[in-house]
Amino acid sequence: MRNNIVQLFLTYLKIGTFTIGGGYVMLALIQREVVDKHHWLEEQEFLNMIALAQAAPGLIAVNSAIFIAWRISRNEAHRHQRLYSAACVAAAVLGAVLPSIVIILLIAVFFTSYKSLPVIEAMFKGVRPTVVALIAATAIRLARKI
Amino acid sequence: MIMIYLQLFLSFFKIGLLGFGGGMAIISLVQNEVEVHGWMTSAQFLDILAISQVTPGPVGINVATYVGYTASGTVWGSLLASLAIILPSLIIMGLLCYLYESIRQRWSENKIFRFTMRMIRILVVVLIANAAYRLMTPATFMDYSSWVIFAVAALCTLLPEVKKNRMTETLSHPILLILVSAIVGLVIYR
Repeated sequence: MRNNIVQLFLTYLKIGTFTIGGGYVMLALIQREVVDKHHWLEEQEFLNMIALAQAAPGLIAVNSAIFIAWRISRNEAHRHQRLYSAACVAAAVLGAVLPSIVIILLIAVFFTSYKSLPVIEAMFKGVRPTVVALIAATAIRLARKI
Repeated sequence: MIMIYLQLFLSFFKIGLLGFGGGMAIISLVQNEVEVHGWMTSAQFLDILAISQVTPGPVGINVATYVGYTASGTVWGSLLASLAIILPSLIIMGLLCYLYESIRQRWSENKIFRFTMRMIRILVVVLIANAAYRLMTPATFMDYSSWVIFAVAALCTLLPEVKKNRMTETLSHPILLILVSAIVGLVIYR
């Protein structure tokens, strides 16, 4: 039981740390972790989840974390079901946003006059094509299991 | 001072409630709030936006944290702004989750419902493909090296579809691919 909460937090911490440049990259990571590795959802429900997360207002990353955590919490019966669901959702959302908040605060507090660093710019020139490939591949892999 | 916190909370709550289409679509709403309240200059905001796009994490949370800090000058302001932008999601997604389950239980055997859901899933796949297509800009594909990186990454990601074993599973891991391409970028472009 408590394992699931910790597991969700750690999984989303990982997803939040490696999401670069918006929610769609996150989908590749979520599919890997949630569908392929932990088998928490099947491909079809994963697609339902994306539809819901997009239709609702707010950040897709946060919306999907809420849905997946809630869905996983319903997989097993629990004495305090609602409390348990709320704890799972809180753990996933916290994991998803914590890397963001910590990194941005570090930058905001210590680099008051930020000018784009050539090192970071070079890294991102390499990462951007990979991100496109990851998103395209996610579409192809999911298309086979609609 | 209290006023700034209240303004931050209300502004970002509103953004979370009215912002459809994910982080990048929300940016214009944030910009509007920043201008209305005069929290920073537009040059400052552009800087913040640029940093938010190249640091890890959802862009919306990055921007909220940064604007919250800059506007209030404290860590509390940034935490409050981030919380405020998440809060509407928690409420609305919570309701949608319950709705989803009750509909699924009642209608899961219904042919029309299953057909509709299948159509929605096809639409979602098209949306994801479109997101990839829109990212194929000259800024991303600036030279031959970018195309090589793209081709190798795509190949690695699709390997498990051809042959599923431990090696292809490891090679296709998104985190590994992102880290390796960051190193490659460092070597090529510096």
